[in-house]
Amino acid sequence: MPDCYHKKMDRQQYAKQLNRFKIMNRKTVKISFVSVIVIIAGVVYFTMSEYRRKHKDIADIPESFSLNSNEIINSFSTNEKSAYKMYLDKVMSVRGTVKSIYRDVGGACTIVLGNDTSMSSVRCSLDSNHTDGIALIKPGADISIKGICTGYNADELLGSDVVLNRCAIKN
Amino acid sequence: MKKIFVFTVFMVTYTTICAQDKFFTKNGKVHFDATVPASPEKIEAVNYTVTCVIDIKTGNIQFSILMKGFQFERALMEEHFNENYVESSKYPKAEFKGLVNNISAVNFNKDGTYQVKVKGILKMHGETKEIETEGKLIIKAGKITATANFPVQFSDYKISIPKIVSDKVAKVARVEIECLLDPLK
Repeated sequence: MPDCYHKKMDRQQYAKQLNRFKIMNRKTVKISFVSVIVIIAGVVYFTMSEYRRKHKDIADIPESFSLNSNEIINSFSTNEKSAYKMYLDKVMSVRGTVKSIYRDVGGACTIVLGNDTSMSSVRCSLDSNHTDGIALIKPGADISIKGICTGYNADELLGSDVVLNRCAIKN
Repeated sequence: MKKIFVFTVFMVTYTTICAQDKFFTKNGKVHFDATVPASPEKIEAVNYTVTCVIDIKTGNIQFSILMKGFQFERALMEEHFNENYVESSKYPKAEFKGLVNNISAVNFNKDGTYQVKVKGILKMHGETKEIETEGKLIIKAGKITATANFPVQFSDYKISIPKIVSDKVAKVARVEIECLLDPLK
């Protein structure tokens, strides 16, 4: 509150005090107003960018694991629960021999890593932005693929698979 | 010699026919749409790594879907789906085990489109529910394309949509299945 509220003053002093208070108030109001606008703008910008955020390219995400196809298959087949805990949703590069390549009419590509001694394999579903170069890959080739582990399908009839998504061929 | 030859041919043919009982894929496609009608925000995702097996003699059909395999266009939506809605770290897989009721009506040796009825149990997010739907089996060149279109109500599987976004996410998702099945050799 301005001094004039508390002290006894003459008219002129009172008018001066009141004026100073009004100007101070106007400045404070202006500063507060601008600050609030800036804060709101910041929040809106952050929210919109989070909302519009697309997935990071797999090549730009550092990998948490680097193993060969037998290692990850054994990990899941011996202890599925702990393998899930360790590998689910993690970015990893898996090295192995190409068992087969699957191409969908829609363009989806899957590279299957494994060998003839076992029905189990690592199925790598390629990211739609990383399907070029697939024509050069042939069964029997030794390659490294980077992707995100989405889980394990245990199946005695069809062969068990570790599945990787959003994959890119590494080398 | 001739007897052995005939026998071998017979065995090969016999085993080939027997093995044709099952058809499968590991690259089946499941698409779901939970967009609220008239909402500008599209809520949909596709999974291209679905496993499906069908026994054409018994009509038994099974699907196995890894929840983390659902791809959304927006990263934030995918994260919410996995972390908050289906809790895929806790329940990484959805499974369907069912029966094609009128499998005998399908002639697997004749190309064509056959309407079928499928009934079974869908297990997702730790909950199970019986599902009954119509579907199609399209026979062509020795392969089967299985398609179906059915609704899935989130609350049936204890998948809760937070109140904040409840007007943006439909309570019932439209699920589309498309699987090209090869004979299991």
